[in-house]
Amino acid sequence: MAPAVSCLLLAVLFAAACRVIISSDQMCTEKEVNKTYNCEYLGLREIPDTLPSTTENLEFSFNFLPTIQNTTFSRLINLIFLDVARCQINWLHEDTFQSHHQLNTIILTGNPLIFMAETSLNGPKFLKHLFFIQTGISNLEFIPVHNLENLESLYLGSNHFTSIELPTSFPSQNLKVLDFQNNAIHYLTKNNLDSLKKATNLSLNLIGNDIKGIEPGAFHLKSFQTLNFGGTFNLSVIFKGLQNSTIQSLWLGTFEDLEDQDITSAMLQGLCNMSVESINLQNHYFSDISPASFECLTQLQELDLTATHLQDLPSGIEGMNSLKKLVLNVNKFHQLCQINAANFPSLTHLYIKGNKNKLDLGAGCLERLENLQNLDLSHSYIEDSDCCNLQFRNLSHLRYLNLSYNKPLGLQSQAFRESPRLELLDLAVTHLRVSVPQSPFQNLHFLQILNLSYCLLDTSNPHLLAGLPDLRLLNLQGNHFKDGNIPKTNLLQTVGSLEILILAYCNLLSIDQQAFQGLEKLLHVDLSYNNLTGNSISALHHFKGTYLNLAANSISIMPLHVLPTLSQQSIINLNYNPLDCTCSNIHFLKWFKENLQKFEDLEEMVCATPPTLKGVKLCDVKLSCRITAVGIFFIVVFLFLFSILFILSVKFFLRWKYQHI
Amino acid sequence: MQGLMATLLVWALLHPGGGNVWPTHTVCRNDGLEILYQSCDPLQDFGFSIDQCSKQLKANLNIRFGMILREDIKELFLEAALISKGVSIFTLSYPICESDHPKFSFCGRRKGEQFYYSGPVNNAELEIPKGEYEVLLKLYNERRSILACANATVICY
Repeated sequence: MAPAVSCLLLAVLFAAACRVIISSDQMCTEKEVNKTYNCEYLGLREIPDTLPSTTENLEFSFNFLPTIQNTTFSRLINLIFLDVARCQINWLHEDTFQSHHQLNTIILTGNPLIFMAETSLNGPKFLKHLFFIQTGISNLEFIPVHNLENLESLYLGSNHFTSIELPTSFPSQNLKVLDFQNNAIHYLTKNNLDSLKKATNLSLNLIGNDIKGIEPGAFHLKSFQTLNFGGTFNLSVIFKGLQNSTIQSLWLGTFEDLEDQDITSAMLQGLCNMSVESINLQNHYFSDISPASFECLTQLQELDLTATHLQDLPSGIEGMNSLKKLVLNVNKFHQLCQINAANFPSLTHLYIKGNKNKLDLGAGCLERLENLQNLDLSHSYIEDSDCCNLQFRNLSHLRYLNLSYNKPLGLQSQAFRESPRLELLDLAVTHLRVSVPQSPFQNLHFLQILNLSYCLLDTSNPHLLAGLPDLRLLNLQGNHFKDGNIPKTNLLQTVGSLEILILAYCNLLSIDQQAFQGLEKLLHVDLSYNNLTGNSISALHHFKGTYLNLAANSISIMPLHVLPTLSQQSIINLNYNPLDCTCSNIHFLKWFKENLQKFEDLEEMVCATPPTLKGVKLCDVKLSCRITAVGIFFIVVFLFLFSILFILSVKFFLRWKYQHI
Repeated sequence: MQGLMATLLVWALLHPGGGNVWPTHTVCRNDGLEILYQSCDPLQDFGFSIDQCSKQLKANLNIRFGMILREDIKELFLEAALISKGVSIFTLSYPICESDHPKFSFCGRRKGEQFYYSGPVNNAELEIPKGEYEVLLKLYNERRSILACANATVICY
């Protein structure tokens, strides 16, 4: 019994193992023909033979390659990008990449590296990006330097580094990104910084290292593209340590899960002795914010105060004439005037997104911002019964305005008269109250993009979109039309310059044949997720070369007369429709076979009827609607019997008639 | 013995490669509250615990969470659905990491990293009413790739 049991057990295990191996070979997914493959999470121990030697990008993470050597990838000599994250790699042996001249990125994240051979990275001519995140290394001597002359970025996060110092032999002349995220670096010395001297325009990331000390003069006359000290407990150390440096972008924010000290005006004085263009202080508290806090920020071009618990900004700040971009997202203003915008007269970009209190726009709060081009007030509980001329007074250079995800706004005719240069207006998911026949967007001569999705619009107002001569993209997703029908006279007739029209999720049942008359320039029409049938396609009869999305509608039988309309379009999506695959739809099915190249994503185009073909892909259906020999035989027999019957009855009728004469 | 073999055979046939049903873990079981969860990500399990477990949930709970990152988390979102007796009570979507506002210190970690978080979650105070609840949780990034998925059961006596 025992031997039999073990045999069976072995057989079962073997069968299971075989199945895994067989299936895994097949399971690498092709993301770009002959070039890009994804083989993640397949438990592979080697490169499958199915991958072509033309493979350029290989995502091979979460497999099992304890040792990699010159035979491991030898067949794939065209590799450009190789991701072997968490493959349990211990050893990188000699000449692993000897024949991979094109290789430019190697990702070794999450591998417990024990040793890399001196020549393990030799071969690639332009090795640019190396990821050694969480590989357990603590010393850069671990990485062989022979072929790193072209290195642009080196990621060393989540390791055991205590110093950022590069070995003297380390070729850093092309280095642009040096990332030490989440290590144990607490001190920066002059020697440390001097070792980076050869790298110009370097971005140095020290986020999650809690710097406790910087040697005086360490940053003297040093220049950086980006310096990130995110999560540092004591910012005074940083401000003191960066004296006489030049930094384009300085990131000093903190996080909800970390403790930090309040920022005082005295700390910010440190900024007077360095040159910084852009600074981020997210998530900090300010203990004594006053005009004096900004004394050393006058050279700044960008200031990000996201989630800094602000209820107002002080008035009377002077000298902030260079500031172009101000981010005040996720704060606690009650009134827009509380930001005292007049302090920042040169602003071109202002973001007050995600305000935690209901934000009252007030009147003319931004009127001193004559150069403002970009204003984001989304997600801020804004509610106003008459928007937006008083509120945005004098913003004559405004080009982008985002008021999406707010409370109801009432709009009158010419609601944006004060900002006639608007190019993009986003009002998505903000309930708009517009009474008929007002035209709130009248005279926005430069407006190109208008997002009105889920605005609960009164679509019966034919003047709603009047006065938009240059509008290219209109998003009306999620708005409803009376009786689910777009009639002959509708709000789209005033926007003849439209190129992209989105009418998805509008509960549409039908579209009048003349409804899109006048829209001659359309290139992209999205009618997905409605309840349209094949007949509605007649409304598109005058479009040519359009991308047409009809996914998730109620199209079953495609009428013969709409096929020429479909033929004129460039790409069509008919996925998730209850398509009929019987002979009643034979014209469409035939036409479909001849026009496969027009269809987007054939995988999801399946039959709904007849029950026998339910779920079958349309491109796999072979339908024959000719009459079969048996059918012809029965018809002949039927006709024959019918004629005999007819002759007999005529005969009988005549005989009956003559007998009665 | 025959029965055992048959069971084994059926099991082996139904679960090629070992199967991917993860064990159900207990977060806590005391003070009239029981919380259980199971990973619904076919590729991996994860570890989770709460520092305090009572019907009267304190604000700003501390949690511990450990997993391997399947994707970069420059952007990370949480989706939660609460279901009671088969009826959906609410769903919420919450941004944890956004490129213009990384709320937590772990934002920006990379695919393949082992990830451990121990700290506050910034929740509101909440008293859990009696009953049994299903909670579906999903963590995903900007490409909607799933990082973690959990089916949790909360039983409150």
